Amino acid sequence: MIQRFYLPLISFLLLVFQGMAMSLLPSSLVYSELLITPHWVLIILMLMAVFFDTDDTYYSILYAVIFGLLIDMVYTSMLGVYMFTYGIVIYIVHGFKKMLHGNFLVAMLLSIMGLCITEVFLYTIYFFSKVTQMPWESFLLDRLIPTVIANLLFFFLVYPLLKSRMEKWSETIQRN
Amino acid sequence: MSSFTRKKRLILVLVSFILLVSLVGFSIRERSELTLPEQFIHDTVGWVQTIFNQPVQFVQGTIDNIQDIKQTYEQNQVLKSRLSQYKSIMQENQMLKNENEELRSNLDLQESLRDYNPIDATVIARSSERWFSQMIVNRGETHGVKSGMAVITGEGMVGKVQTTDKFHSTVRLLSGFNRNNRISAWVWKKEGDPIHGLIQGYDEETDKLLLKEIEYDAKIKEGQAVISSGKGGVFPAGLRIGEITKVEIDQYGLTQTAYVEPAANLYDINHVMIVDRSMPTYNMEEQMEEEKE
Repeated sequence: MIQRFYLPLISFLLLVFQGMAMSLLPSSLVYSELLITPHWVLIILMLMAVFFDTDDTYYSILYAVIFGLLIDMVYTSMLGVYMFTYGIVIYIVHGFKKMLHGNFLVAMLLSIMGLCITEVFLYTIYFFSKVTQMPWESFLLDRLIPTVIANLLFFFLVYPLLKSRMEKWSETIQRN
Repeated sequence: MSSFTRKKRLILVLVSFILLVSLVGFSIRERSELTLPEQFIHDTVGWVQTIFNQPVQFVQGTIDNIQDIKQTYEQNQVLKSRLSQYKSIMQENQMLKNENEELRSNLDLQESLRDYNPIDATVIARSSERWFSQMIVNRGETHGVKSGMAVITGEGMVGKVQTTDKFHSTVRLLSGFNRNNRISAWVWKKEGDPIHGLIQGYDEETDKLLLKEIEYDAKIKEGQAVISSGKGGVFPAGLRIGEITKVEIDQYGLTQTAYVEPAANLYDINHVMIVDRSMPTYNMEEQMEEEKE
């Protein structure tokens, strides 16, 4: 029963650490010309969509909407943007997962795709609501590519830790 | 069956899009107060961050201490040589202060725009979204923080309080200022009256603040200091904002615009002071919004 709460708890802690990392990591790394943005929660959610959810369960999408809204509340002053973006991206990943067999390569490619879509969505919404005035080319070079690479490193870190555990938790929850 | 699911999907996408637009529309205006659920979430996240911050701060502090000890000898030599100078300056300062107080009491001016009570706060997190220049500090309504107050470090101003919760508040950094967050400022000159201007926004390309509405014939040079004037209603006077790096005539040729380099480092901030000015405050921005409504 308690296994139900592991993943929300992990996601919540990562949401908290995301902001702390920005103030604690050396500023020369975090605040360089490159606008690296942590999407740790999203990585966990995408792993969830691939390894935790079956074709008929939609936990990852539910959590995507909830944690997207939490990120909106805590770290930006505009509500709904992350909620919508994360929700849609996890929905897409969940849809792809039905067609593909879940292994390392599939999870990695889906993560790269998910990160790219997320960043493009965020850029589009923030551009039209005038939060950023960054031109498209510099967004691509300064934000999209560094962010995808940095978050992929995080993916490599958590994949071995969480993959088999998620599958196990998923099984026990379904048996109950 | 498939057409049914397709319809369902379409409705889902449309509904979520409407939800997005209405939520963004609700929250995009400058809000000085948050809704209760938002405050609750902020405080909860803030507490968890504080718990994890403690050991990290401890380790950081220890490393800093060790580095300090290494440099102590050299610093000591330099400081000793300066000590005698400071003594005379201190005496002079004291004399001037006394004189100032006397003159003030003669004039029945008890409080000045320069006086303020600092509220010490620690930065516990920053926005993970780089396009929002904001950070969370561990002081809130219960400690006397109100939205609109100035936030400073030892070096100068870093931003202002955007919203407050019961025990935490969100600070908007200077780099996130726009037309709606103005600071009434003075360009300080050695002789003559200070020149008045308004800080209106931040230029992302050059990383400089924009000081606008300066009179056309005012003579401004690079390197002059910019301080807050206290005429905006909330900030006290005399807070250091930055230094002028460039001056140009604005597009209509009626006023001048100066680029101001912020005095404080906006990226490496750990401890801040929230400035509660002693004179009664008068929030013009809120007033204007209320009138509009």
